Amino acid sequence: MTAQRLFIPFILFLVIAFLIGPFLIIVAASFSAGETLAFPPQGFSLRWIAKVFTVESFRASFGMSMFLAIGGTAAALILGIPASYALSRYKLPGAEIVRTVVSAPIIVPGIIVGLALLRYIVVPFQVGITLALFLAHTALVLPYAVRVVSASLENLRSDIEEAAVLLGSSRLGAFFRVVMPNIRGGILSAFILGFVTSFNQVPVSLFLSGPGVRTMPIDMIAYMEIVFDPSVAALSSLLAFMSIGIVFAAERFLGFSRYV
Amino acid sequence: MSDASYLSLSKLTLAYGDTPAVPDLDLDIRKGELIALLGPSGCGKTTTMRAIAGLMPVKSGRVSLDGADITRVPANKRAVGLVFQSYALFPHLTVYENVAFGLKLKGMRGNELDAKVQSGLKSVGLSTFANRRPAELSGGQQQRVALARSMVMEPKVLLLDEPLSNLDARLRLEMRTELQRVQKETGVTMIFVTHDQAEALALADRIVVMKAGKIEQIGSPEDIYSRPTSSFVADFVGFENIFQLDQGKLQTSAGLVDLSSHAPSAAGLAWRPRMVTLGSGPYRGTVRGTSFAGDSREYLLDTKLGPIKAEVDASQPAHALGAELAFDLPVERAALLSRFG
Amino acid sequence: MFQNRAEALALALPAAIFAAAVFLVPVVILLSDGFRNPTGGWSVSAYIEFFSNPLNQAVFLRTLKLGALVTVTAAVIGYAAAFAIVNLEPGMKGKVTGLVVLPLMISPVARTYAWIVILGRTGIVNEAFQALGLTQAPLRILFSETAIFIGLLQLFLPLMIISLISALENMPKDAVPAARVLGANWLQVFWKVILPLTKEGLVIGGTLVFTGCLTAYITPAILGGSKVLMLETLLYQQVSVSNNFVAASVIAFILIAMSFAANILLKRVATARNKQRRAAA
Repeated sequence: MTAQRLFIPFILFLVIAFLIGPFLIIVAASFSAGETLAFPPQGFSLRWIAKVFTVESFRASFGMSMFLAIGGTAAALILGIPASYALSRYKLPGAEIVRTVVSAPIIVPGIIVGLALLRYIVVPFQVGITLALFLAHTALVLPYAVRVVSASLENLRSDIEEAAVLLGSSRLGAFFRVVMPNIRGGILSAFILGFVTSFNQVPVSLFLSGPGVRTMPIDMIAYMEIVFDPSVAALSSLLAFMSIGIVFAAERFLGFSRYV
Repeated sequence: MSDASYLSLSKLTLAYGDTPAVPDLDLDIRKGELIALLGPSGCGKTTTMRAIAGLMPVKSGRVSLDGADITRVPANKRAVGLVFQSYALFPHLTVYENVAFGLKLKGMRGNELDAKVQSGLKSVGLSTFANRRPAELSGGQQQRVALARSMVMEPKVLLLDEPLSNLDARLRLEMRTELQRVQKETGVTMIFVTHDQAEALALADRIVVMKAGKIEQIGSPEDIYSRPTSSFVADFVGFENIFQLDQGKLQTSAGLVDLSSHAPSAAGLAWRPRMVTLGSGPYRGTVRGTSFAGDSREYLLDTKLGPIKAEVDASQPAHALGAELAFDLPVERAALLSRFG
Repeated sequence: MFQNRAEALALALPAAIFAAAVFLVPVVILLSDGFRNPTGGWSVSAYIEFFSNPLNQAVFLRTLKLGALVTVTAAVIGYAAAFAIVNLEPGMKGKVTGLVVLPLMISPVARTYAWIVILGRTGIVNEAFQALGLTQAPLRILFSETAIFIGLLQLFLPLMIISLISALENMPKDAVPAARVLGANWLQVFWKVILPLTKEGLVIGGTLVFTGCLTAYITPAILGGSKVLMLETLLYQQVSVSNNFVAASVIAFILIAMSFAANILLKRVATARNKQRRAAA
C-alpha cells in the first residue's frame, strides 16, 4: 500500500509538470534580461513585457483578435440563441439537419474552412479580409454557442413561459422576461468559451491574412520567424493570464463548468 | 347552451399534429362552479384544460367565456389563470416579484401594485416569505405562491393542473381547504384536472369524468359516487363487482341469471364490495382470499358469477379460506349502468 | 413543446443558412475540386496522383502514425492520471482537475512555443544532457517527429484525462473492491473491470485526441518545421508554396473523411450508451 501511496502523487506530479511546466518556463522567460529566448532566464527585467506594448503590429493584431473574438462570438450568439431555442422548445421539422449543419464547423479542420472561404467567398465576391475573418470566426464559434445555450435551455422548465403568457405576457415578452434571465449564465459561459476559442484560433485565419490584417496568434508566429527575443514569451504570458483570468472569474461567479 | 352557462365548450376538437386528442367535446360550466375534470392519464383532460387556457390550438369548435367567443383569443388576453402541476414559478424572481409579474404587465405600479401583491401574499399566508426565491420554499408553499400569482390577476376562470398530487397527505387536506376557501371568498370559477377520484369527490361541485377524449358522465360528487352510468365510471370510482347484462339477463359460466324484473333497461349492474350481503342470499361462493383492514374485512369469493369482492364490518365473525358462503347482490342497491365498455 | 412550425423555422433558419453559406457550401465546393479532371469531368486521378508520390505517402503515414501514437500514449498516461485524480479527496480533486484543464485556456501558440525553449539546440534538455556528459554535441530534437509527438501529447492529453475522469467517476463504486475480494490482481482488475466499464470514456477521449492531432496546425508547423510535414502543414505548403489547389482539396478530403469517421464512431458509442442507460432506467 505504501508503494501505491507514493506512486499516485508521483504520477500526478509528472503529468502536471508536463502539462504546466512549459507554460511556467514561458512565464519565467518573459522576465529575462537577456537578448534571446532562453531558460533559465538571464537576469530579471521587465523590458520584454514593456516591449510588447510598443510593437505596432502587436497592437494592431491584438485589436483585430479582440474584434473577432467579441464580435464573432456576439454574432454567433445572435444566430445561435434563437436556433437553440427552436431546437429545444419546438417540434422542428429537420431538426437533426439543422443541428448537424450548425455544429459542423467543429469537426472540419480550421485550415480547410479558411481556404474554402478564401477561394469561394473572398475571391469571387470581393469580400474584404476583415469581413471574411469575421464570418469565419462566427461560423467557428457557432457550434459552441448552440451547444452551451441548448444545454442551459434543457435545464430550464418550459412551462414557466406558458405561465408568463397566461399572466399577460406575449410569447416574445415571455422569452425576454423569464427565459433570458434564467439562461444568462449559460449565455455568458458560451460567450467566454467562444471568446477564448476564437482568440486562440490559428488555422482558420492562416489564409485569411492580408496586408496589415492579422490575428494576434498569426502575428506572433510571424514575429517569431524574424526575431527570436523573449517578447513573444512575454506576450504569450500576458495573453494566457488574460484567458485564465476570464475563465477563473467565470467559474467563480457563474459556475462556468456546469455549462461547458 | 343554457343561459346560466359561463364557460362553454361546443363541438371542441383538439389534436396534436395529426393525432386526435379530443373529438367534438361539449361542456357548459356555470359561473362560480368548482369543476373537476377526472380521468386516467391520456383521457384528454389536460388537453382540454390547455385549450381553455389558450395554450392548445383549437382545431374546430368553439370556446366561449362570459358571453364572448374566445376560441381565437391568444392566451395572454383571456383572463384565464392556471396553476401548473409543477407550479412553474419564475426561478429568478422572488416570491413578491412572482406575484407582481402579471400585475406589472397590466401597467399597475406603486402603492396600488404593492397593496395588491401584499394582500395576495397575505391571503395565502406567505407575507413573511416575500423576499425568498422559489427554490427556498417547500412544495406546498410554492403552490400557494402560484395560486396567489394567478389569483391577484382576478381571472374569470382559474384552472388547476393536478393541484394536490405533489403534496403529502397532511398538506393535501390543507390545500383542499384553502382552495375551497379561495373559491368561496372570490367566487371564481374553478376547473381542476385530476386522476384521483377521492380528490375530485372531496373538492368539486360537479365532476366531469373523461375517457379517450370524450365525456363519460357529468354529475355531482354524490351522482358520480353512487350512481355511475357507465361501467368505466363505476370501475373508476370503486365499484369492483361489475356485470354486463344482455336484455336484462346476466350471462355466467353457470348459465343465465335473470335480473330483468329489476332492471329491464340496464346495460349493466355494479356493486361496491360494501354492497354485497354476506351470509345469506341465493348465490354461493367459496372464500379464496381475505384481507383485514382494521374496521372491515375484505373477501374474494369464487362464484359461478365469476370472482366477487365483498367487504363486511370487522365486528362480524371471520370466515376461513375455503369456506362456502351464501351471498346476495341486492339489485335494489346496485348502480344501473346504461353503457358498458 | 410548441407546435408552430413556421415559428420554429424562422428561429432556426438564420443560423442554419449562415453555417451553410459561410461554411458548408464553400467546403463542399472545395472538396469537389479534387474529383475534377482538367477537362471538367469527374475522376479520382488527383487521388491516384497524390498517393503515388512517395513524399505524400510518407506525410499521410506520418500523420496516421503520430495520431495513433499520441492517442495510445495519452490513453496510458491518462488512465494513470485519471485514476490518481479520482482517488484524491474532494477539495484536492477540484484543484488538480483545474490544473489539468488550465492548459486548454492557453493559446496553442504559447504552449508550442515553450517547447522551442525546452527542446532547442541550446534548450534545457540539451544543456542538461551535455552538462551530465550524456552527449557531446547538442541533439537535434526540434524539427523532428519526436518534437511533434511531445507537442501534440501535451496539447491533447488534458482532453483524454477529463474524459477518463468522468468515465471512472461513473463507474459503480463497488466494482474494483468486488474484483479485489474475488482475488483479481491489479492488472486483472484493469483489464477485466476498469477497462470494460470505462470503454466509452476511452473512446470519447481517444476520438478527441486523434481528431485533435489530425487538425492541429501550429504544433507540426512550429515543431516540425518545413521538412517534417503532417497533412495539415502539407496542405498549407501546397497552397502557399506550390499553388496546387487540387492537391489541397485531396488532403482536405482525407482530413475530413478521417475526422468524420472518428466522430461517427464517437456518436455510435454515445448513442449505445444512452440506450443502455434507458434500458437500465
